[in-house]
Amino acid sequence: MTEIYLRLVDLILTPVIMLIAIMLFLRGHDLPGGGFIAGLVFAAAIELTILARGAEATRERYGPWMTPLIGVGLSLAVIAGLIGVYGGGFFHGMWIEFYVGGDKLKLGTPQLFDLGVMLVVIGMAITYLLRLSEAAEAAARPLPTKEGGQS
Amino acid sequence: MTAFMLALLVGVLFACGAYMIMLRGQIKLVLGLGLITHAVNLALFGTGALKRGAPPIVPEAGATAAMASQFADPLPQALILTAIVISFGVTAFIVVLIYRRDALTGSDLAPGELATVINTADPFAGFDPRATLPEAADDYDILQYELDEVYNRPEAEVVYE
Amino acid sequence: MTLHPTVLALPVAIPLIFGALGLLFQSVRPTRRVRIQQTFTGIGLGANLVLALIFLVFTLSGGRMAYQMGLWPAPFGISVYLDALTAIMLTMVGLLSVVIFPFALATMDVERARAGFFPLMLFLLMGANGAFITGDLFNLYVFYEVLLMSSFVMLTLGGTPSQINGGIRYVVLNLMGSMMLLLAAGITYGTLGTLNMAHIAVRMGQAPYLVQAVIAGLLLIAFGAKAATFPLFFWLPSSYHTPHPVVTAIFSGVLTKIGMYSLFRTFPLFFPWLLNDWQPMLMTVAGLTMVIGVLGAFAQPTIRRLLSFHIISQIGYMVMGLAVAMTPNEFGVGFGLALAILFLMHNQLVKTALLLGGAAVELEMGTGKLNELGGLVKKMPVQATLFLIAAFSLAGFPPTSGFIGKLGLLEVTFSAGQWVIAAVSVVVSLLTTMSMIRLWQYVFWGKPHRTQPNRSGRAPHNAMLMTTGPVAILVALSLLIGVAAQPALDMVQVAASQAIDRVGYVQVVNPELTATDLQSLQELPAANAWRTAESAGG
Repeated sequence: MTEIYLRLVDLILTPVIMLIAIMLFLRGHDLPGGGFIAGLVFAAAIELTILARGAEATRERYGPWMTPLIGVGLSLAVIAGLIGVYGGGFFHGMWIEFYVGGDKLKLGTPQLFDLGVMLVVIGMAITYLLRLSEAAEAAARPLPTKEGGQS
Repeated sequence: MTAFMLALLVGVLFACGAYMIMLRGQIKLVLGLGLITHAVNLALFGTGALKRGAPPIVPEAGATAAMASQFADPLPQALILTAIVISFGVTAFIVVLIYRRDALTGSDLAPGELATVINTADPFAGFDPRATLPEAADDYDILQYELDEVYNRPEAEVVYE
Repeated sequence: MTLHPTVLALPVAIPLIFGALGLLFQSVRPTRRVRIQQTFTGIGLGANLVLALIFLVFTLSGGRMAYQMGLWPAPFGISVYLDALTAIMLTMVGLLSVVIFPFALATMDVERARAGFFPLMLFLLMGANGAFITGDLFNLYVFYEVLLMSSFVMLTLGGTPSQINGGIRYVVLNLMGSMMLLLAAGITYGTLGTLNMAHIAVRMGQAPYLVQAVIAGLLLIAFGAKAATFPLFFWLPSSYHTPHPVVTAIFSGVLTKIGMYSLFRTFPLFFPWLLNDWQPMLMTVAGLTMVIGVLGAFAQPTIRRLLSFHIISQIGYMVMGLAVAMTPNEFGVGFGLALAILFLMHNQLVKTALLLGGAAVELEMGTGKLNELGGLVKKMPVQATLFLIAAFSLAGFPPTSGFIGKLGLLEVTFSAGQWVIAAVSVVVSLLTTMSMIRLWQYVFWGKPHRTQPNRSGRAPHNAMLMTTGPVAILVALSLLIGVAAQPALDMVQVAASQAIDRVGYVQVVNPELTATDLQSLQELPAANAWRTAESAGG
């Protein structure tokens, strides 16, 4: 499970895929991309780690944070809705526009909601993937025999 | 023609999915559910105006009401995306469940209510019933077995060790 | 009494906020985590019930309101709609979850609590509330899925083999139902060009009969599968006996009833004429659901399997009420729907009480098998009495809510001229009585069985108040409805009259509609012309 080439690929590629995920998230609102896709790509990055280093090591690294991440994501989504109340209605979209150099940038509550979606997707997907990988690794190991007493 | 082909495809996918769900193996069940989900998503897709090469991405400047008819309807795609997200979650959940059952019982097949059929009157010859239950003689015993599992959890320790 | 429409976002927002807060603490030390999550869940459930009661008071005085999510105007954005039917359902589900909560606190085992049972309760509540208040067909599907995802996890929490078996059946059959709902939404959008329920109601009348029939049929299959009506009930008895008993109680009060609510909401709104046209079919479904449910119950060897067949059987009465809802009779149109809503409330109370009573027995004795139980009347006298009252209420004895509900439904089916189904429902009531007596006899009467109690070590010995209290509250409410029937009837009549008032719904949700649109709502479509001619002639 922990082959050196795969670990090397993991070392180089995982941060790159994570960056791609963040890029997909940032261009989301007006162009193809968005929270769900970004979350899935991010989860794919972590799945690469699972493949390279095994489920156990990955769970040590990311596992404890996955359920709280879902909580954070859901909270962000609700907060995005509640900020909308300030602007007139629940989930009303509110935007701040500002210029960096000559480029117009926008930040808004839909983006916050998207961030929440992304975190929820990452949390859910990694929870599932870790669960599946653990089961797969357990199945790949030879079963201990009850009579022999050796494992 | 496009609409007819799409309808045909939806029908075929539905039929294949329904057939696969009724098979015994649980992986086929997952695949069948995936096919049915795709069929429904395609049906949703067909409800939008089918237009080639006209994505509903409107340029920020100079959008007019007349342009609306040139683009494909974006709403079905949004609906499909939502439906895909949901079916992704449900499918992942079923896969985890089936994997867990496989790990617990060492079988791809449903024990419990099916076990009597498998053990006593198997209509498919050459079928390997790995899912034998301890002393499962009649329905009542199987029920007892299931209830014992709920309260005593005899197999829970055997899982991954 | 006036409410700002923004509060309509709260039935979804409150459970979501508290559930998310609970999940935030999932990586805290386990004992502390469970306590924090319990606190959040308690606060969330309480706040939700208070909100629902405010809504109930508001709507019973005739108020209705709608809110456009994100301030997108009505046919384009997601509308949220509140009337008396919605408020009654919100209150009932809120009440049930508040009542079940102490029982869950007392009996939930450590592993399930640590795995996140308590936040899941809030997510289930969020899905239910969303399905009640939404005014958008696709949004209804989304909230159904939220509800189902939480219920999937709740059902398999603990991960025993039988739970996983039941869980797979449950997930697959419910997913098929959801797919039908999604397909119905897609076809609605493809043919009528809208997903907003008010807009659908406006356009449905002009649609060809085939389109109406396809949409109505798909919705009937989808909601029928959720409500466990006759050909689509198989997921229920094969999964409801597997999880922790408290989970079964929550499911019986919430899940199947949401399917019924959706039928009550969509059919009178979209195609009230189809309720008349399809009356024979609905009656057949109702009768078969009743009969098969109650006959199935006789064959069951455990408490929970028996009670889950009774859930199915009782659903038949509600379908019967829905089938006569739009038939004109001496009580006026919609009285059948009112009684179906009353029966729904009664059934939520009584069925949850029975399942909680059964749960107490199961947890105390460590088994739910009828032939291993017996003589518990001496060991648990209070539970035995409450269970007996609830059982008689289920069977329909006065002075309980079951009597009022069944008497009303019988009267309205008689006056609609449906003798066969009325006779069937009476026979099924008798069979229900026999079945409940059988259950009570096996469990509480007779000699104590040699089974050692408390096999699992999870019995709520020092939590008598927390396990009997909820059952007592539910039974007391059932008796209250039975004794003070008139206020309850007035309440459900307001709900039913608002539910069948299509013009009112459309005006509240979408006030910019023209007079011709509203006119088309009041006219019966051509498909029904033969029936109106027939009834005018006869």
